[in-house]
Amino acid sequence: MSTTERVGGVGTPPPVDPWAAAHTSTDFAMLRQRFRGFVFPMTAFFLSWYLLYVVLAAFAPHYMAIKIVGNVNIGLIFGLLQFVSTFAITTVYVQFASRNLDPLSSQICKRVEGGVW
Amino acid sequence: MPGQAVFYVTIGAMVVIAAATMLTGLYGSKVRSTSDFLVASRTLGSRWNAAAISGEYLSAASFLGIAGLVLKGGVDALWYPVGFTAGYLALLLFVAAPLRRSGVYTLPDFAEARLGSVGLRRVCTIFVIVIGWLYLVPQMQGAGLTLHAVTGEPKWVGAAVVMVIVTLNIYTGWMRSITIVQAFQYWIKLTALAIPVFVLLIHNAGEKPGVRGSLGASALPHFSHAADITLDHDVVLEVAAPMVVNAVGNEDGRFANGTVYWAPGEHRVAKNTRLHFDAGSRTPVIRGAVLDNDKWLRPLGSGSHPLLATYSLIVALLLGTMGLPHVLGRYYTDPDGRAARRTTLLVLSLLGVFYLFPMVSGWLARLYVPELLVNGNTDAALLLLPRAALGGWPGLLLGGLIAAGAFAAFVSAATGLVVSIAGVLSTDVLPSRLRDFRAATAAAWTVPLAFVLAVSSLDLAQGVGLAFAVAASSFCPLLVLGIWWRGLTDVGAAAGILAGGGLAFATVLPAAAGVLPPGWQTLLAQPAVFTVPLAFLTMVVVSKRTTDRIPVDVSRILLRLHAPDRLGLSEDRDLDQMAPRSGMVALPRMRGGRHRR
Repeated sequence: MSTTERVGGVGTPPPVDPWAAAHTSTDFAMLRQRFRGFVFPMTAFFLSWYLLYVVLAAFAPHYMAIKIVGNVNIGLIFGLLQFVSTFAITTVYVQFASRNLDPLSSQICKRVEGGVW
Repeated sequence: MPGQAVFYVTIGAMVVIAAATMLTGLYGSKVRSTSDFLVASRTLGSRWNAAAISGEYLSAASFLGIAGLVLKGGVDALWYPVGFTAGYLALLLFVAAPLRRSGVYTLPDFAEARLGSVGLRRVCTIFVIVIGWLYLVPQMQGAGLTLHAVTGEPKWVGAAVVMVIVTLNIYTGWMRSITIVQAFQYWIKLTALAIPVFVLLIHNAGEKPGVRGSLGASALPHFSHAADITLDHDVVLEVAAPMVVNAVGNEDGRFANGTVYWAPGEHRVAKNTRLHFDAGSRTPVIRGAVLDNDKWLRPLGSGSHPLLATYSLIVALLLGTMGLPHVLGRYYTDPDGRAARRTTLLVLSLLGVFYLFPMVSGWLARLYVPELLVNGNTDAALLLLPRAALGGWPGLLLGGLIAAGAFAAFVSAATGLVVSIAGVLSTDVLPSRLRDFRAATAAAWTVPLAFVLAVSSLDLAQGVGLAFAVAASSFCPLLVLGIWWRGLTDVGAAAGILAGGGLAFATVLPAAAGVLPPGWQTLLAQPAVFTVPLAFLTMVVVSKRTTDRIPVDVSRILLRLHAPDRLGLSEDRDLDQMAPRSGMVALPRMRGGRHRR
């Protein structure tokens, strides 16, 4: 793996490469950390949420068949909630990205373009 | 209602939609450069792009298939729309922004840019074509079915009509206008479905209680009026309670002409048999459908391995969306990752609103067209619903509107797929680009057409599900590992794609042909639950064994994928100037220092 750490191939002087500098900067590390801190738990959450529905439907059919209003039972409500949750997660992510990721990334942009690194 | 009127109304509605589609296409067809041609212009904005993605995505499976599945399988079928929408969430979280930054817009381009291997590019090319073909088949089947249901034309005619419209649209409209066309198509589809469903719901609410029966408790579906059904293929019917039926033809291996007594259990009825059911008699249902209404309202009421099959389906839909060639290309129309996120959110809302209607109509179909449970043509549920429920001119007009909307669904989904397949064929298979795009378009049709003529038994939604399974087992691991794991090698990626995607494809074909024994059919008809992990595992293991093939500039490439958006802007200028063999131009900084062993 050690050879893969060389950036830019042979002949590129490493100190003036803004990419390498940006890559090792604390800002970029924080950007990555924030992104992963959101995406990985959220993925675990929605996968288990989908699984919960399938498992309940398979092993607790009587629970799912409890009627709430008229012919509308828990299973049906659960199913529709899957839509709602997908939409909610996406909304939360879009807001999170605009609030926490975009400012940081445009800061990195400015530095690279301004030749700070 | 005279058959002639049905014919003219439906054909009229179809002609209007086809003409509107072509006019919209011509409207934006002033195209100069190659990059306009393939990538479309970036001037259209998120709202147009989101509607275009939705329009292209809502295919035969969404329009007709889900209503049919809800009629047959009940709440289980909710998984299809849930999976179809959730797939965009996975795409958004893992793939959309990095892929957009990479500057490539086809999967083979991504593979070559990320791992620098022409061999891997070829493997990806083959899979783009295979997935596109698998996805085209249900579109053409759906078109055949629609035309057959309303006019009685043989099923190949509808498929041929779609081919002609799509080909003309591509020859005249180009890609820029196709974004407009696809956006326009979304609103057509929504209107064509929403208006009839609203009218039917109002009609249903106004009916005297008890006339149609309710879906509650232990009620079995029954005929509210006398029905004559002529079977167009052999069926196995399940009967719940003893019943009497009038049959002319071959039933349970003997010739019947008159009243027949059916004990509870399974009964084989041969093709061309005519069955007559009196008003109020219970509906026997085709094997695989859910027998009573109570079970129908509960999830997982059907099938032999319901848990495994359902979870497998979710895996396929959730992870397959990102591997669909025509979906990824659309994201390139967004100027940056931020716009890509906004587009995805809009796509989810548009899809969510749309999917309410097929679900409701599946429920209505169980009340008004139970005969489809006997002859097994559940995919025709939406098409027949208005005439069965309303009758007269209102039913005729609304039926025509649905048929025309369905046709719009086939045309728009098929357009996106054919553009993707033809794009890959002309870049990677045929020589000399622009001139051959038309030839490639023609070539893209050949295999699915042959398949449509040969196979007819598959449910539309299931057919689409198979395309998702292959996509999830091949391109999803490539994208996720390619974007998130620096240790991936070209050999590992190719091995994973061939193992996972290849196995999925190998099980898809016999499943589609319906030649498997029943126990295996459930398992293999939706193979994603074991082929996706297989693909991931193969990629990781083989990559670990070939670490010397990790590209030397992997850090630079990964940084490029995850770096802030605006740093990628220079690439777009390159792309505007050069013909899209885009992997070659879109990642100029990635090209240096490539290993060649």
